[in-house]
Amino acid sequence: MPKCTIDGREVEFQPGQNLIEVAKKVGVEIPYFCYHPGLSIVAQCRMCTVEIEKNPKLQTACSTPASDGMIVHTQSEKAKKNQRSVMEFLLVNHPLDCPICDKAGECDLQDNSYKFGDAYMRTSEDRRTYMDLDMGPVIKKNMNRCIHCTRCIRFGAEVAGIREMVAIQRGNNTEITTIDGRPLETEYAGNYSDICPTGSLTLKDFRFKKRAWFLKKTPTICEGCSRGCNMEIQHEGGQIYRSIPRENMEINQWWMCDEGRFNYRYTMEKDRIVEPRVVEAGASKRADWATAVAQARASVRGKKALVLIGSDLTQEEAQLIQQFAKQSLSGADVRHFGTPGIKSAGEDAAADKLLKRKSRTSNLHGVEKLGIGAFEGNTGAAEAVVVFRGGRAVLPEIKAGIWTVGIGVYHDSDSKKPGVILPGAAFSEKDGTVVNFQGKEQKLRRSVLPAGKSKLISEILALWTHQGVANKAGSKASVQAVTEGAV
Amino acid sequence: MSNLNFEQKQSAQSESGSIGGEPGGETLFIQHFKNDEARFLKYYHEKMAGYTALKKAFGMTPAAIVDEMKKSNLRGRGGAGFPTGIKWGFINDKTPFPRYLVCNADESEPGTFKDRDIMRYTPHLLIEGMVIGGYAISANVGYIYIRGEYTREAVLLDEAIEEAYAKGYLGKNIMGTGFDFDLTVHRGAGAYICGEETGLLNSLEGKRGEPRVKPPFPAQAGAFGKPTIVNNVETLANVPFIINRGGEWFSKLGRLERSGGTRLISVSGHVNKPGVYEIPAGSMTIRQIIYDLCGGMLNNGRLKAVIPGGSSAPVLTADEIDVIYDIDPLMKVNTMLGSAALMVVSEDQCVVKLIHRITKFYAHESCGQCTPCREGCHWMESIIERILHGKGREQDLALLADISDNIGGKTLCALGDAAAGPVASFVKKFKPDFEAYIRGGKHA
Repeated sequence: MPKCTIDGREVEFQPGQNLIEVAKKVGVEIPYFCYHPGLSIVAQCRMCTVEIEKNPKLQTACSTPASDGMIVHTQSEKAKKNQRSVMEFLLVNHPLDCPICDKAGECDLQDNSYKFGDAYMRTSEDRRTYMDLDMGPVIKKNMNRCIHCTRCIRFGAEVAGIREMVAIQRGNNTEITTIDGRPLETEYAGNYSDICPTGSLTLKDFRFKKRAWFLKKTPTICEGCSRGCNMEIQHEGGQIYRSIPRENMEINQWWMCDEGRFNYRYTMEKDRIVEPRVVEAGASKRADWATAVAQARASVRGKKALVLIGSDLTQEEAQLIQQFAKQSLSGADVRHFGTPGIKSAGEDAAADKLLKRKSRTSNLHGVEKLGIGAFEGNTGAAEAVVVFRGGRAVLPEIKAGIWTVGIGVYHDSDSKKPGVILPGAAFSEKDGTVVNFQGKEQKLRRSVLPAGKSKLISEILALWTHQGVANKAGSKASVQAVTEGAV
Repeated sequence: MSNLNFEQKQSAQSESGSIGGEPGGETLFIQHFKNDEARFLKYYHEKMAGYTALKKAFGMTPAAIVDEMKKSNLRGRGGAGFPTGIKWGFINDKTPFPRYLVCNADESEPGTFKDRDIMRYTPHLLIEGMVIGGYAISANVGYIYIRGEYTREAVLLDEAIEEAYAKGYLGKNIMGTGFDFDLTVHRGAGAYICGEETGLLNSLEGKRGEPRVKPPFPAQAGAFGKPTIVNNVETLANVPFIINRGGEWFSKLGRLERSGGTRLISVSGHVNKPGVYEIPAGSMTIRQIIYDLCGGMLNNGRLKAVIPGGSSAPVLTADEIDVIYDIDPLMKVNTMLGSAALMVVSEDQCVVKLIHRITKFYAHESCGQCTPCREGCHWMESIIERILHGKGREQDLALLADISDNIGGKTLCALGDAAAGPVASFVKKFKPDFEAYIRGGKHA
């Protein structure tokens, strides 16, 4: 493999790799703004300039492929002077409103200014100002903070496949905006905010909600479709504030769709049922766990049962339910449901050119692996139906009267459909494994505790099967007994 | 080349006040300027051996044409002075098709107006040069990207192109050789940056006029992502002469080793006879041009400054004008020939106001892509404006020098250098003028 030297450190590289990537290998940070590994290279922020021996001019590291024997200095006087000067230029017109800016704490401009800029400013001229722009439901623009890196323009054109962000005017008056100020149309608009190196494109959903440094970050998997984009749920005090994509080159690269990004909202909605419910005299009433579980158990006793599970449940949950059906429901049939029209992994396909899949649940491919077949819409000879649902699977139509128990995430609008509802944990509230469309097993991690009085499915099944300990809801012994038995 | 009327040339020169007797030498263009008949094919055939070079070129191999260009020592007339033969040589057997030949007729450098006269008076020279160029690099499509303000020239070019099509010098199977060449005039919208070759190509493609990252250079990926050669109008208009009379002859027209041919220069400012002149490359000093060629300073004023190569060239003071007016000698005194636009400034002018206007121009014309130019040019303009308004500070001059140093050579294209060079040189060479504003709050 060819080798070059960066700041005195020898490093091997793949032909074609640029100096920023090569430098990262030996822990040398070359600062940049406009460069993004997933976008074309424009070399226009000029922050990444480095000195290359035998080259009279500074070169931009983003646009310079490493070559054998190249000797690069990122911290020479010349390179450092340019880093200071580019930082100074960028701040000549930047409002420096970090104290009220949502990006503060995770801002490339702020970080690079601390690391590579001067603490002292020489400008006394008036700063350039623009009007804010509401860019539709996802993004709000504050142009004053913009440093014209054009990542957003390139993301739209090259990744999202839509030329909606443009530069208008020119020179010092250049403004990054949408064509005619229209709202953004792409279903991937949230990424504009992620890739913005300043607080110019902010997520409306997150604006003024939380300082970035207070957020706890849990790496997990999106449950929005069968792709299983890697993401991070950011939360604090049991409340989720946002989710952002994590890099995974084999699955979602750096991106995620808006549907997946804002999917977590349902877990915090007011109409989510977070207390056991029973239907009495045509009305849905709150009940304690012991009563509700006892009623659930009674409603299927002696009947031929059918178990339906959402393909949004984890592998562990699905296996546990299979075991439960076998042992506690006299070998009841288990079927899966999820996305209307997509009954098997074979029917799952790309839903757009970027990430979205047709299966709108996370684990269709996993439950199929467990040998669970699709629910065809016909309950057959079943006298009682027990439905398990993670949160996204679309509930099938079930004849009135035979749907006796619903376990998992339900909303007020579903409250009278099953006789008993036992509230379960949503995807952000549990650990587990899901299998994406490529057959990759990925791990969901718990970010927050189950909402209200909801419980994990393993806990609910423990209550169901261990009558004797039913009143000591969720005791460790009972959970363990069921999970060990199942796995 | 017997058709070139050399007797007539001498009289034409003295009429247009072009070349003085002393440096002498043959001229190629100027004798046909200001003659409204010259733009027609009839005149071009009769007086300028029209399209004989093309016929001769078709008898040569493309490689032989490129060799002839290399021998001619023709250096690009747009501003960078890159040897044309070497540029054409970038296109070789392995270069993929299609290839394009683009003529840069944007002529946007302030002070430059020589290409305008070529397009007005001798458009067929350009057309013939382009067909030969197209043949040499095996391109079948050519574009003339002309600046938007040149309305009249665009019309004249279109007329000349129509004439050439009618006579079969353009189009399919030119002169029965099987070589096709189509030529289109594309009008720009008046942006300075579209004179930068990659900015021009973006504009030609219908995109924002923004320079591209180089590499890839246009010869690798130019117009529409295909190999493209971009040449200035005057460069291409010289091609028929070189083919007809040989590269060696052309090279000897120039007086310096690495600069062949004659040079059209645009002189403006406070001289008695401003205008377009043609001199053998490297044959005169700036002093000779001002005092011999252009009839001296206007109203016998005293010379204060000379901007030698369009507004982007660093300024020279009155003491520095005994320098040969060509690429290499000017580079030695830290300025440049650029597009050979000589701007003469007399003593009664305020240089602070002048540099303010120049900087304002560059701030306005910066495309806004890269940081140092977008932010820096406007910053420099603001500072100079503040100085002009009597609000200058002592440290401003050092700040201006440092900003221009931070812009120069650090940007994507040459516009940054174009803006930085003048500011640095004005601040250095006319410091007392700035200090007068800063200390006295007004013009000295």
